[in-house]
Amino acid sequence: MSTEDRSMRFADVNDDVVRSLVVTGRKYYITLACAIAVTLLCFFFPWFYQLYYGIGAAGMNHPTVWGTYLASFIFWIGLSHSGTLLSCVLHITNSEWRKAMYRSAEAMTLFSLMVAAMMVMVHVGRPWFIHWALPYPNQMEMWPNFRSPLLFDVMAIGTYLTGSLIFIYMGSIPDFAAVRDRTTGWRHHMYVLLSLGWRGTDTEWHRLGWAYTFLAVLIIPLAVSVHSIVSWDFAMSIVPGLHQTIFAPYFVVGAIYSGTAGIVTVMFVLRKYMNFEHYITKLHFDNLGKRLLVLALICTYIIVLELFTGLYIGTSTEYEQLKYKLTGFYAPLYWEMILFCAVAPLLLISKRFRTSFVPMLILSIAINIGMYTERFLIVSTTLSRQYLPETWRVYVPSLVEVSILVGSVAMFVTLFLLFVKIFPSVSIYEVKETMTQPARKRGHAEWQTT
Amino acid sequence: MADHVVGLFDDAESALAAAGRIKASGIGQPELISPIPVHGADEVLGPKKSVIRRFTFFGGIIGGLSGFTLAAGTAVLYLHPTGGRPIITFPPFLIITYEMTILFGILATVLGFLISARFPALRDRVYVPEAAVDKFVVTIQCEGDASNQARMILGEMGAGDIRQWNEATP
Amino acid sequence: MNIFERFVAGWRKYRKPGYYDDFDYHWTMTIDLDRCTGCSACVTACQAENNIPIVGEKELARGREMQWIRIERYWEGEYPNAKLNFIPMLCQHCDAAPCETVCPVSATYHNQDGLNAQVYNRCIGTRSCAVYCPYEVRYFNYYNHHWPTPLEQQLNPDVTVREKGVMEKCTFCIQRIRQAKDHAKDDGGRRVRDGEVQPACVQSCPTEALTFGDRDDPESKVAEKMRDPRAYRVLEDLNTDPSIVYLKKA
Repeated sequence: MSTEDRSMRFADVNDDVVRSLVVTGRKYYITLACAIAVTLLCFFFPWFYQLYYGIGAAGMNHPTVWGTYLASFIFWIGLSHSGTLLSCVLHITNSEWRKAMYRSAEAMTLFSLMVAAMMVMVHVGRPWFIHWALPYPNQMEMWPNFRSPLLFDVMAIGTYLTGSLIFIYMGSIPDFAAVRDRTTGWRHHMYVLLSLGWRGTDTEWHRLGWAYTFLAVLIIPLAVSVHSIVSWDFAMSIVPGLHQTIFAPYFVVGAIYSGTAGIVTVMFVLRKYMNFEHYITKLHFDNLGKRLLVLALICTYIIVLELFTGLYIGTSTEYEQLKYKLTGFYAPLYWEMILFCAVAPLLLISKRFRTSFVPMLILSIAINIGMYTERFLIVSTTLSRQYLPETWRVYVPSLVEVSILVGSVAMFVTLFLLFVKIFPSVSIYEVKETMTQPARKRGHAEWQTT
Repeated sequence: MADHVVGLFDDAESALAAAGRIKASGIGQPELISPIPVHGADEVLGPKKSVIRRFTFFGGIIGGLSGFTLAAGTAVLYLHPTGGRPIITFPPFLIITYEMTILFGILATVLGFLISARFPALRDRVYVPEAAVDKFVVTIQCEGDASNQARMILGEMGAGDIRQWNEATP
Repeated sequence: MNIFERFVAGWRKYRKPGYYDDFDYHWTMTIDLDRCTGCSACVTACQAENNIPIVGEKELARGREMQWIRIERYWEGEYPNAKLNFIPMLCQHCDAAPCETVCPVSATYHNQDGLNAQVYNRCIGTRSCAVYCPYEVRYFNYYNHHWPTPLEQQLNPDVTVREKGVMEKCTFCIQRIRQAKDHAKDDGGRRVRDGEVQPACVQSCPTEALTFGDRDDPESKVAEKMRDPRAYRVLEDLNTDPSIVYLKKA
């Protein structure tokens, strides 16, 4: 669909985005139906079984009481870290290339946070009482324990979810207004409500600009704190291998790393199947690739540093932990993680690699598999080798856990598929800002290469 | 009655120039409706100050105070000694404070945005659908002679289309 | 002003490090490893007293055993000069317990008897306490456990039966402690005397390896045994301040 000499005009952006919302092919419905079916079958069905049966349906055992559910929780929280955080950083540093992709990146944040919240529900033994972890006045006069790192999590993730939702919504208001004028029926009514009566006057733009910047400034430290806090769930324990100060930066870097890889995956899919070739270009993949490379190097550094910290602590338990990590039952997974997260990303040093779409897709998926493994290892290797050797026991995930993991991916896909039909998945007004003004018709804007 | 003269321009510069001339002619305060934020609108239409920053600031402060009060107050109301720690434990409570600061800051920013930009709109206001696509629109509320004068200025400045807008006929 | 006074009073009371030494009682257990034969009578007694379910062979193989007190075995040396050491391991009722701070809903806390209490009704099953516990003595209910008839007839009426998704652990037979305290209160408000209350494991130990009592009372058997030079506490360097004192095997 892309032609070399066709100059993009403002109207084309509106057309493209409205088309992505209104025109729905059979392929979309089939994909959506599949995603919903997989979600129900692989996530909700096993979960209901587990609710009925007890956590025993999963593979957790006595020393390793945390399993893949918690690993998935960290993974999804981590995946959420690219979107809004990346978008905020690029917004306040005024990066042009952010503008075509940030909406879907923020949506990723939102949905991965939702899936992460679901993973908590799956993880706890009695999810029907999970509201006890929320601070609300109640007749028991019981409040949650604010000294608990898990409660920091509740507060941080609640704030992050609220913040991301508001951030993506506020950035979309002008686009809702633009779409509102072009739609009919129930969509029109929905966008009338969502756009709040946006007109685009100079005052409104001015207020939006300020509010948006303030939100960005507030969300950056929030996002960093969220994953630090998730790491403290582990680092505040006295389990050898977990009780390390490196954990907070490790988790934050890991989160941004896997999140950026996730963005590459989503960008590829959007570009391919939503016909956004004009908006998501090689330049985006090139820039994301550079970021990935830097993050991969930092991540590698921390992985190595973690080993050194263990050596430096030098207690017998830490030595045992290190030995177990490098050569024990889970060692193949560890080396797989090293391969996917530290070695494979070195390919990004080549520009040709960064600007070829399919290799980038494969690499981004590999990185996320590696990062999932890393989270799984954090839980499994440490908990199965604690202080008292009598209790040492390995843990292998059960079928229910694997199924719920697959189902959670399907849930994410479902949410994303619904999103692309409700939210304009490319920001109309910010793309226009990067284009030349309509009257002058200078042809392609600079960032558009083919 | 709110009668408006509306002029549609193809590019931001002419719209801005037209708005500047209307303002100079003393008909009233023109409004610019555009598909993208127009840079330099402040210089032509007069500087703007928003109250959002105050909302964010005080929202954050209230959030911080209420965060610490929540954590420390509930800990004292129902005494639960845990782990040999004091009841009011500063390091963990500061984390709660931090999160609540940001939460309230965000919510207050939204509130400030809605109030200062007058959202949600409860009645029709001057609007041109083309402004959401690629037209830069100058609107000015005026009647009679002033309206003719405004139309003349807009025409001179090269408006592609000049319309009349009022609440009854949006 | 009332709420403010409450605030200040609450803050003052628990501000001092080691405030738990001022609690009403400081229940402590000593375990003489010289006397322990590893007979597991304590394990059985605990099972009977506290309605601990029998998980069965299959679940045991999956590592989901339920025993609030377990006998850990450690081999020393190689055959034929091998030596077998037993260490009964149960909740250490740490005064600075890592498990207490991590519970998001305050389901586990320190009570005025110096016990690490677990509130089953409040537990939401995050299992974080079991992760934070360095002694691995917290057990999770992976299922609703059933007692085949007529075994449900022998359940202890003083102790609840825990449902699935709840963490549980040794309580120092809190139901017996409560009873003894009630008797003492009815008996003119005196303190519980040494030896008046014994957890099931202590009561059943044939070699009297286990002793239970109030550490605050310097005359008690426990206090006397704690003064033994062989006394040590497991993983003491973690600063958890456990209430179980082991007497080293000579």
